[in-house]
Amino acid sequence: MYLFIASEIMLFGSFFTAYFFVRIVNGIPWPTPPYHLPVFVATINTVILMTSSATMHWGTQAIKRGNVWGMRAGLLLTFLMGTAFLTSQIFEYMRAGFNTSNGAFPTIFFCLTGLHGCHVFVGLSILLFMTIRAFRGHFSAEHHHGVEIGGIYWHFVDVMWIVVFTTVYIL
Amino acid sequence: MTTTAGTAHDVHQAPTGGGGWRGLLLRGGLLRGAWMFVAFGGLGFGLVVLARWGGGWHPILATEPLVLVAALVTAPIGFLAGIGAFDYWAYYAMGYPTRAEDHSGHGAKSWRDYLRVNTDHKVIGVQYLVTTVFFFLAGGLLALLVRAELAKPGIQYFDPQTYNGLFSVHAALMIFLFVIPAFAGLANFVVPLMLGAADMAFPRLNALSFWLLPIAGIMMLSSFFMPGGAFACGWTGYATLCSSHQPIGAIFFNQGVQWAGASSIMTALNFLVTIITMRAPGMTFWRMPLLVWANFTTSLLVVIATPFIAGSQFFSMFDHVMHTSFFNPVGGGYPLGYQHIFWFYSHPAVYIMMLPGFGIMSEVISVFSRKPIFGYRLMALSLMAIVVLGFSVWAHHMFVSGMSSWLRVPMMITTLLIAIPTGIKIFSWLATMWEGKLHFRTPMLFALGFLSMFVIGGLSGVMLGAVPIDIHVSQTYFIVAHIHYVLFGGSVFTIFAGIYYWFPKMTGRMYDERLGKLHFWLTFVGFNLTFFPMHILGTEGMPRRVADYLPKFADLNMFISLASFGLGASVIVFLYNMITSWRFGEIAPANPWRGMTLEWQVTSPPPIFNFDEIPQVVGSPYEYGVPGAQHAVLAPSKAREMEEVPV
Repeated sequence: MYLFIASEIMLFGSFFTAYFFVRIVNGIPWPTPPYHLPVFVATINTVILMTSSATMHWGTQAIKRGNVWGMRAGLLLTFLMGTAFLTSQIFEYMRAGFNTSNGAFPTIFFCLTGLHGCHVFVGLSILLFMTIRAFRGHFSAEHHHGVEIGGIYWHFVDVMWIVVFTTVYIL
Repeated sequence: MTTTAGTAHDVHQAPTGGGGWRGLLLRGGLLRGAWMFVAFGGLGFGLVVLARWGGGWHPILATEPLVLVAALVTAPIGFLAGIGAFDYWAYYAMGYPTRAEDHSGHGAKSWRDYLRVNTDHKVIGVQYLVTTVFFFLAGGLLALLVRAELAKPGIQYFDPQTYNGLFSVHAALMIFLFVIPAFAGLANFVVPLMLGAADMAFPRLNALSFWLLPIAGIMMLSSFFMPGGAFACGWTGYATLCSSHQPIGAIFFNQGVQWAGASSIMTALNFLVTIITMRAPGMTFWRMPLLVWANFTTSLLVVIATPFIAGSQFFSMFDHVMHTSFFNPVGGGYPLGYQHIFWFYSHPAVYIMMLPGFGIMSEVISVFSRKPIFGYRLMALSLMAIVVLGFSVWAHHMFVSGMSSWLRVPMMITTLLIAIPTGIKIFSWLATMWEGKLHFRTPMLFALGFLSMFVIGGLSGVMLGAVPIDIHVSQTYFIVAHIHYVLFGGSVFTIFAGIYYWFPKMTGRMYDERLGKLHFWLTFVGFNLTFFPMHILGTEGMPRRVADYLPKFADLNMFISLASFGLGASVIVFLYNMITSWRFGEIAPANPWRGMTLEWQVTSPPPIFNFDEIPQVVGSPYEYGVPGAQHAVLAPSKAREMEEVPV
């Protein structure tokens, strides 16, 4: 699983390389006027996603101690927060005021956040199935490999968001 | 993720569909694959139309996103789900009882079993090899068409755009659908056997990564039938040419590479986990055969590098379809960025296409020289050195691209440096053969052919690594000659050596030695007659990738074209030998080459679970001619056997 994460990090790495070429080598203004980024909304989104990482951790720890309801609550909260993140991201896209064909800044913006959004979507699908299984009573203190693996992925998605958020919105 | 050990004896029967027509349509197989292919294609089509209608974009029925999403993404997923590649995971995810792997599907009783999703690594290995040989034939035919066009100056059979399509698809098929997966196929069959394991670590993932391949290959081939023809900007698909001015076939290339790349990443992860966790007792890292080492290092390269080509193809495709500006300077993009990202994968990729071949060579040369491999540890360490250095040489493909000139000299130095570990390997093989008892069977002939050809290709590589020479011969036939000496004289010869070497193990029958030798000599002579003159053409300035050329090159080109048809004919000998020997060949003994590695210690073909008893590894795999040396003891130990149910 960690090897797979390494591979994923390299995929993000290639997108950041494109970011590097456009922003550092070409030196385009960021964000390119007349566009601007909704930093406030994105910050709230970041907080949501960070919290979801905490609930994910809570869920994993709960099942390790055999607390099935703790795991269910943790997974469900994580799922809801992930969905909230993705929904507000979609609204952000719709109100961005620019689209992919408006030059290099929108290109990089959409592709970095979009790649991350795809990963959130995959993470959510995994979470959904994990939650279904959790409510069907499939995990126990001894057998919770499925929760742990999904948890690793979800934490990876969150850490990646911090990097994307810092490079795209803040710097 | 695929743990079934706890319930190995507790077989749940999941719904598999009833009998009759309805059952046939619902059961996982090619038929369900076909209708789900169409259904998912329709789903993707609908999604695009819905999104464009909802977003108010015009025209709603734009061809490019439709083809991209419907035909190239969702339809293949439908096919995969249809043939049953996702069955287990789907049951697992929905919380239904899964069909625990009872291994009833292992082994192949008839040829039909090869057309199903099968989790047996030996079946998957053969599936890989047959598929890749098919694409080798397709790619080879395209090459012959290219040579037919080049036989005479002027335009004969194809207009320039079609010609560009021919050599582009030729290269893409040979690289992504033949060399890389053929090695994966051989390793799939051999690596678990060599490790003393019953299967790969993730058998279902293994099956899935095989089934992605035919999708990628058919996608690339079918680009010929698209309006405007196949993708035609070379296998490198440079932006901005490929990302803006190309017909729709270009996105078939972008997308085909994604499927092939996903397949090789999954396979590589599988190999890494298998090699790290499933070695037999006593099999330390320093007792692993070099083929296993080679696949370990290759897999590291694949896992780290392949996401970069995925990225580069995404960018190129987005520039094409969504009019983004990754590489479009008008919108602020950076055109050279494509080449940097692409070669950051594609230079390691040449080692992905070479290291497993090095592994095969170490096996073959040691066995047929009846001597221990010379400098075993240094052989393994030089593989690791190639992995590390391989990431530091990418810009030597870009000396003439207009990149910052300060990058040239460091890249030249690293390029010359990376010749050192390769040189270590060459000299180790020579020292292995030195004073050995050489047996010139077909695999050994191919190994010797490889050594001599690869040295020529490697040396012309060192020449190309030097900036002044590279600037002179860039984009000429010298490059074509170099790449074919390393990829055909190098990789393809090792693949043939590997196929002949393990043919008895895979099929349980011997190949015809006379035909094998005939195949070798035809290939060897045809290869040199075809590609050696290209060095001369290149230094005299004949450009590559152009359908027409100056009349002064006519004689040599006619010669090359004739020789290439001879080379093409040699493949017929190979095919005839393989097919007839598979059916009617003499029954093979368990260990026809008197090899010491574990795969030769079991019957040919191996038992369904590879080892009836867990082998205990006690020594080096290459102690040929050393009195009393043993690699492994296959002692009965029934208690252990129960634990070795693959998880």
